[in-house]
Amino acid sequence: MSGDVSDRARAAESSAARRLPRDIVVGACVLIFCAVAYAITFSFKQAPAALAQNVQPASFPRLVISVIAVLSAGQMILSLRLPEKALKPLPWAVAVSAAVMIAFVIAFDALGIVPAMVLLCFGLPVLWGERRWHLIVPYAILFPAAIYGLFAKILGVHFDPGLFGPW
Amino acid sequence: MDSFLTAASLFADPYLIGVVLVGTVAGVLVGAMPGLSSTMATALLLPFTLTMEPIPAIALLSALYCAGTYGGSITAILVNAPGAPPAAATAFDGYPLAQKGRAGQALGIASVSSAIGGIFSVVVLIVAAPLLARIAYDFGPPEYFALALFGLSMLASISGEAPVKNLMGGAFGVLLATIGMDFTTGVDRFTFGFWELSDGVHFIPVMIGLFAGAEFLLQAGRLDRVVVRAAIEAVKLPSWLDFRRCLPTIGRSCGIGAFIGVLPAEGGTVAAMIGYNEAKRWAKDKSKFGHGDIRGIAGPETANNAATGAAMVPTLALGIPGSATTAVILGALLVHGLRPGPHLFNTTPVLLYGIFTAMLLANIIFLGVGLLGAKLFARVTLIPVKFLWPSVFVLACIGSYALQQSLLDVWIMVIAGILGFVLRRYGFSAAPIIMGLILGELVENSLKQSLIIFDHNWLRFLDRPIVVTLLLLTILSVGAPIFRRIRARRRATAET
Repeated sequence: MSGDVSDRARAAESSAARRLPRDIVVGACVLIFCAVAYAITFSFKQAPAALAQNVQPASFPRLVISVIAVLSAGQMILSLRLPEKALKPLPWAVAVSAAVMIAFVIAFDALGIVPAMVLLCFGLPVLWGERRWHLIVPYAILFPAAIYGLFAKILGVHFDPGLFGPW
Repeated sequence: MDSFLTAASLFADPYLIGVVLVGTVAGVLVGAMPGLSSTMATALLLPFTLTMEPIPAIALLSALYCAGTYGGSITAILVNAPGAPPAAATAFDGYPLAQKGRAGQALGIASVSSAIGGIFSVVVLIVAAPLLARIAYDFGPPEYFALALFGLSMLASISGEAPVKNLMGGAFGVLLATIGMDFTTGVDRFTFGFWELSDGVHFIPVMIGLFAGAEFLLQAGRLDRVVVRAAIEAVKLPSWLDFRRCLPTIGRSCGIGAFIGVLPAEGGTVAAMIGYNEAKRWAKDKSKFGHGDIRGIAGPETANNAATGAAMVPTLALGIPGSATTAVILGALLVHGLRPGPHLFNTTPVLLYGIFTAMLLANIIFLGVGLLGAKLFARVTLIPVKFLWPSVFVLACIGSYALQQSLLDVWIMVIAGILGFVLRRYGFSAAPIIMGLILGELVENSLKQSLIIFDHNWLRFLDRPIVVTLLLLTILSVGAPIFRRIRARRRATAET
């Protein structure tokens, strides 16, 4: 058993040794981002010289992008001789929750705020493993109602009626 | 003095007292809840204040800020999970003391030292902010550019672990601030054909996303965490003996917190760590630290609360946030049509003194609320996370939407949340991005104006003594943490 564990640890170590340091990968991604952002600045319109006073709209963003690129390169160099802690694998609930975040905004647009909130307040606790229905059901009804009442009726925020509106 | 009296008289209004009370109780509650920080809470609460008058709105957020910093100590002591990052050091000795059955004593010393630190910081704010504003009154664009650069450079030392990443985050925030129409030429930048982006990316959805959205995802990965709460008897006021033992530590931490708080970008977390280390360093008997020494609670708690008011000094006097939460408060001032800086002291002194009074009141209220209700507040840890975090996410979405009633802002919040989570996973922090986003406009405009003044001769920046001083400080604040980190690594490599 202990042999198994040490074998696994050795395997993880050797695979980590084979892998590029994480900060190198992150730095490379940042450099690609900088290259794309820099390229986009060429699509900015040129302002007339009298208006721009020698500082074109693209000048400052290019300066900032260059700073980010230099810092990123610096971070890559600094990380070369560094031992790094292994990242814990991403729990499935994180990916699901990120998808729920996006789905909520789509539902907000398509169905309206109240159904979107009810779906989220019911669905997310269930997805996260909650099974106490006597808590889930009242929560999924009362919390959205309270939030809608607070924002729409008291604070005067306008929400599109959505599919089932007006509320 | 007249302005102060006028502002103080405003607080005879039960509505304003009620606002501060609500802010304080809400602050203690969110501070006590692991994962919910005062920064996130102020960001979430900001949209609620849009319909309020500026004084109650900023008073509410300021009270929440003060109380949230204290509230973190409750769960740090009882659960060993600091409710907010500034309370992390409080857990080192608070939790061992609670495990010994002395949670009431630990909470008592935390409440009293927090209140002393907080009140001291408000005094610092009242004295230092107008003085700093007076100095800054003659600042021109070159000085403001150098000052903003210094503020951004201080991001390097927010976290000793990743100074370069913090600077990258700050620069990324500045880049985000360039989205939209260029102020001087009217040319759209990075708008990709979305006319809604011509006004730029509003910092509130970004802020809510980076703080609340990212934390929502982070908590989604910790659903199986079980919270074990130490038993708590009644909260006790510290005995005279305990108080006398802690007094030198409290005094030192007041100074440390105020000094760290005044520095741009540094906040309660850094102050608390230094406060703890100094309490330990000055103690004759260090052996009890880490095992439940009350000085290990008094040190960080005084320091992190002493940093709150002090962090408002550069925020109000210069428009440079002293911490992540004050960056949100700075955002709130902007949303209410107020531009922080020296001119604010001339144009709206009553508002400023209103903020001072609200913070002072909040510190007094949380002492009472903490001593009487800590046992109750500790129960917030019993709220099931599977209901808490969906609620936080809904509030984040609605709060982002409420600002301009635009779905684009909700998308921005969600994207910022996912991005914030990914960045945190790879060692970046949210605070530098927010600082950069808020300071971006100031950096760009002051640089452009300076270049026009200097006829595009960069060397003329060096003709101005304040600019030279600030640039030297910038070099120092960027270089020192990186140099320290390289030296620490070399030492570690040599030891292995």
